Amino acid sequence: MGIHVHLRVFAGRDYMTESNHSTFEHPEVQLAGTGYVAAYVAGIALMGLSLMLVKDHALDPTALGIAISGIAGLAALLQCVLLLHMTLSRTQIWQTVALVLFVPLFILTIGLTSWMFHGLYQRTMLRPIAASQAMAPAPLRAPR
Amino acid sequence: MKGAAGETAGGLGPVMWRPNHGYDDVSTKTLGFWLYMLSDAMMFTALFAAYAVLGHAMNAAGGPLPGTVAHPTHAFTETLWLFSSVLAYGGAMIALKKGNRVGVMAGIAVALLVALGFLGSDLHEVTRLFAAGATPERSGYLSAFFALVFYHGLHVIVGVAWMLVMLGQVAVFGLSEAVVYRLLNLRLFWHFQAVMWVFMFTFVYLRGAII
Repeated sequence: MGIHVHLRVFAGRDYMTESNHSTFEHPEVQLAGTGYVAAYVAGIALMGLSLMLVKDHALDPTALGIAISGIAGLAALLQCVLLLHMTLSRTQIWQTVALVLFVPLFILTIGLTSWMFHGLYQRTMLRPIAASQAMAPAPLRAPR
Repeated sequence: MKGAAGETAGGLGPVMWRPNHGYDDVSTKTLGFWLYMLSDAMMFTALFAAYAVLGHAMNAAGGPLPGTVAHPTHAFTETLWLFSSVLAYGGAMIALKKGNRVGVMAGIAVALLVALGFLGSDLHEVTRLFAAGATPERSGYLSAFFALVFYHGLHVIVGVAWMLVMLGQVAVFGLSEAVVYRLLNLRLFWHFQAVMWVFMFTFVYLRGAII
């Protein structure tokens, strides 16, 4: 039985069955690789790009918000693939399916909540004088 | 014999833990932990939703708004700390792949030290804001801001504690199967913090600067 499993692990076909002889040969251990460096470089570069766009006010606020959101989505996608190994391989397929099913929940929860309160602010919460003054950011007590 | 999965079959115990059920122990445990991480991500989702709502000027209550609280440049240095720690832990995983026990310990130690750098930077920022009067009870916006910052910081603290425990376990037990699956779960936990930080950096610090 042990030899049978060992051969199946190396064949890479049915590696999620049974326990492996050597834990290091487990497919999830074998996923580690140079993708971590690529994820690091891409993550820093994309976050740096977003920072540069914001600091330089390169776009109008709406376009800037869309641009940095898109960059964040790309960075998260790259990290999911390169760091968390979210792929369609037999080793990772159910992790990937769970994540894919989670993403709509993430977007809907934030999106619906924002939308509901956006309407609430417009329809029911008349802006008092104090709140109008709050539109101008109050300075912090101590300078940075 | 009972037919449902998870029930006893032929007196051999729960089906999930018998041989030939289709998944090995390590894969079963990492999948279970991954599902837990996604439920943790729903906590982040709820806090992001609250932040999106409470970031409105109505909730500043005359206090500071995101533009004066969120400092993107400082947050970028935190990004460098956290991503570097994640990379170091990735190095530990590559050493694990090669069965290099010393390499695993070195990778975890570096990841741990760099994570402490992140925590120090985070603590410095929070202390500065507190000293300036920007405390959680000051307004709804600041409550949401600090809830997110503290929740992420708590994850980093848990990660640091977990790394300390794993350093001890690798030193004492070596790279046994039980230690290896815990290292894999810690990889999921730690690398997931990098993904969450992308959203923290973008939607809390960068968006805060353009509102």
